[in-house]
Amino acid sequence: MDPELLISKYEPKKMVAIPLVVLALALIILGITYQSTGSPIDLGVEFTGGTIVTVPIIETEDQIAAKLADYPVMQIRDVGNRYMVQMDVMDSDDARSLTSLIESQYKDAEVRYLGPVYSKRLQEQARTYIPMSFLFMAIVVFGLFRKPIVSLLIILSAFSDIVIAAACMNLTGVQLSLGTVAALLMLIGYSVDSNILLNNRVLKRKGKVDEKVAGALRTGIAMTSTTLSAILVLFIVATFSYLVSDTFSRINILFDISIVLIFGLVADVMNTWVMNANALRWYLGRSNKSRRPRR
Amino acid sequence: MSELTKDPRILIYFVAIAAALVILAPLPSDDGLQSRLKYGLDLEGGSWLQLKLLGAIAEIEADPVQIIEKQFEDALGGSVDVERRQDADRFWVTVDGRVPKDLTEDLGYPQAKITPRGNVTRITITDIPIAVIVNYLQSSLDADVKTVRVEERLMYEIRADVTRESLNEILAPVGGRVAPAKEGFIEGVTEETVDETKEVLDRKLNRLGLKDIKVRVVDNSFILIDLAGVDVATAQEIVGKPGVFEIRIQTTGNETVHVLYGSEIVNVELPSGQQGGGWGVPFSLSEEGALIFQEAAMETGATRNREAHYISMHLDEEEIFSAPLAQDLAASLEVAPLRNMVAQVGGEEAASRKAHELYIHLREGALPVNVEIIGSGQVTASLGEQFKKQVFAAGFLAILAVGFVIFFRYREPKIVLPMVGTSFSEVLMMLGVAALLGWQLNLASIAGIIAVIGTGVDHLVIITDEVLYEGRVPSGKVYLARLSSAFGIIMAAALTTIVAMLPLFGMGFGTFKSFALITITGVLIGVFIARPAYGRIIGYIMRSE
Repeated sequence: MDPELLISKYEPKKMVAIPLVVLALALIILGITYQSTGSPIDLGVEFTGGTIVTVPIIETEDQIAAKLADYPVMQIRDVGNRYMVQMDVMDSDDARSLTSLIESQYKDAEVRYLGPVYSKRLQEQARTYIPMSFLFMAIVVFGLFRKPIVSLLIILSAFSDIVIAAACMNLTGVQLSLGTVAALLMLIGYSVDSNILLNNRVLKRKGKVDEKVAGALRTGIAMTSTTLSAILVLFIVATFSYLVSDTFSRINILFDISIVLIFGLVADVMNTWVMNANALRWYLGRSNKSRRPRR
Repeated sequence: MSELTKDPRILIYFVAIAAALVILAPLPSDDGLQSRLKYGLDLEGGSWLQLKLLGAIAEIEADPVQIIEKQFEDALGGSVDVERRQDADRFWVTVDGRVPKDLTEDLGYPQAKITPRGNVTRITITDIPIAVIVNYLQSSLDADVKTVRVEERLMYEIRADVTRESLNEILAPVGGRVAPAKEGFIEGVTEETVDETKEVLDRKLNRLGLKDIKVRVVDNSFILIDLAGVDVATAQEIVGKPGVFEIRIQTTGNETVHVLYGSEIVNVELPSGQQGGGWGVPFSLSEEGALIFQEAAMETGATRNREAHYISMHLDEEEIFSAPLAQDLAASLEVAPLRNMVAQVGGEEAASRKAHELYIHLREGALPVNVEIIGSGQVTASLGEQFKKQVFAAGFLAILAVGFVIFFRYREPKIVLPMVGTSFSEVLMMLGVAALLGWQLNLASIAGIIAVIGTGVDHLVIITDEVLYEGRVPSGKVYLARLSSAFGIIMAAALTTIVAMLPLFGMGFGTFKSFALITITGVLIGVFIARPAYGRIIGYIMRSE
């Protein structure tokens, strides 16, 4: 469909409502998770402490569960050629005996033990750094655009990207890990790209607002699709390459990073081109009306 | 064309690419061709440990008189009278009746003088009050305590896992306490202790002949160790086992008797292959230690009946070595004490490694401070190799996918080829910088590179769309104005990405430092080197039809 039509067909106020409803839903999801777990996003082992072991599949789930019966196993998952076993916090002696056991039983085991000291620290850091990152971004946006309404819109859109990505994580069972935190921070930086483009085009160029928005939309969609294609490749390689060759396996950290970026980028398309584009049309339409009579 | 070649932006761009290629070109080395790129443990295979140094620095308010009073009363089970001589650092303890002669030594005052006076005994302790407090803390906690100065205040460094509460509990019976101010109790140990621990670990690992060991200190109370090519069980075994070294002799059955501690071992030599194919660790005892050892060996009967009285070595009460006395050694011990001995570990396949481990244990006895392993992990070399293949495939496919998407958008090879080329060159330059500065590429940083490919092309799209007007590039001033407007957008976007990434430097002991570094580098290379050149090149190409 022609982007111009898509832009001017609907009334701005109604269009803005859609992303806001989605944002509200996402906030509710985070709220529910917070109510039940004490954290808005489900915390992964890095943040709760525990052990993650991945080993090649050489037995049934019951057999591996029996083998690890002495340890606090919480979950065993088949992640494509390998089992990923998550275990609760244990003391360092148990962790040591576990690693020797795994070492003796499996070739190519991946083991990560995260003690409570480490995870507690990480939680504190995440609580400080994610908002800090957001704040830095907000300051830069204000510095660049100076106009409070415009800046606030961009920041709201970035906020909504993060919140929706986080809610999607909860819905799909992706836990907060160092990888997902990195991806969320990256998203904070990314999410303003298309907004900056939109605002620059609409505020600094001459011409009809709807035309400018439509032009920006064309560029914006190309931008997002290139980024999305790169991240999608990363996601596919990290997740499904075991289907190509059984020597390959899922790479958790890349899965984490890529899936969060995908959630965020898709949310960003909506927030930029449905929410912000229409909010800008509305805002500019109003200020135009008040300043000069209609032609 | 001369318009292009004269442009400094183009010049810088091509020089940077050439430099990156030179840096990345594989160099011949001992193991064939080697690229200068370094890979992290998750791609190379290896293990890592995160250690917390257990300890605290506390300011302590306590009265040495009360401490001495409690120590002697507890030991004797009756009341004593303690007086502090103000003129000198001297304490007088007056006790009814007589006391055992090793009482003062047991209580940690070896220099104290015991003087019987009528029906009382006067004990004179010559020690400064601080030493009394240190002595009390050491004996109550069974840990090393050192005094340190922190900003002009005298504090005690306690090398054990204590809290303010647990310290107060220990001090309460002598009317003492930890200074109530917040600065009165600091978790962690002093920088010197951290450095000392790091050094011991460094030596310990280096002596094992491990390649590429990285021991880093974070926040003065955490030590991170990266060990390439070692599995985590071995790593934990090497690092997590500091403690008390002890030699014991078997008496009857499974019973053993203590002979001496690691402190009597004065020298340990590198393990050596013995005649007949066995491995052994030569070590020397102190004069006193040799005497104690001889006495114990004769007393237990180890010199006469060697097979029934094994000599064993223990680290933290765990047996790490056990063997009978060698025949000639037993014979010599019957005559005189011997200071030089060899701990033989046998001739089996693992003997050389076992000898090395024993050597470390004999040599280092213990780390200066207790450590807790708070995190560890491993990736085996072949798994790392697999990951490497997968991520490189992902990088390559990402560029292809991006190329496909922009072809779909512009349907014009003249645009698509420079775009993909620029994107690829950005990756080259990022890798070049990483190789030059010795950054390790790990899974996270490669994810960063792929993400930068994505955003980099974004920016190329912005430039292209901004300068192209109805499929044509305007000339002169209009083109330059468009270009600068495109760069306004790009710079703003780059700036927000960079500031949003900054906090990652501090997170998770720097696990994501490489991710943040490579992403920021990629963004900077993009906006300052690659994209300005692209802006000129695309303009030139589109106008030259």
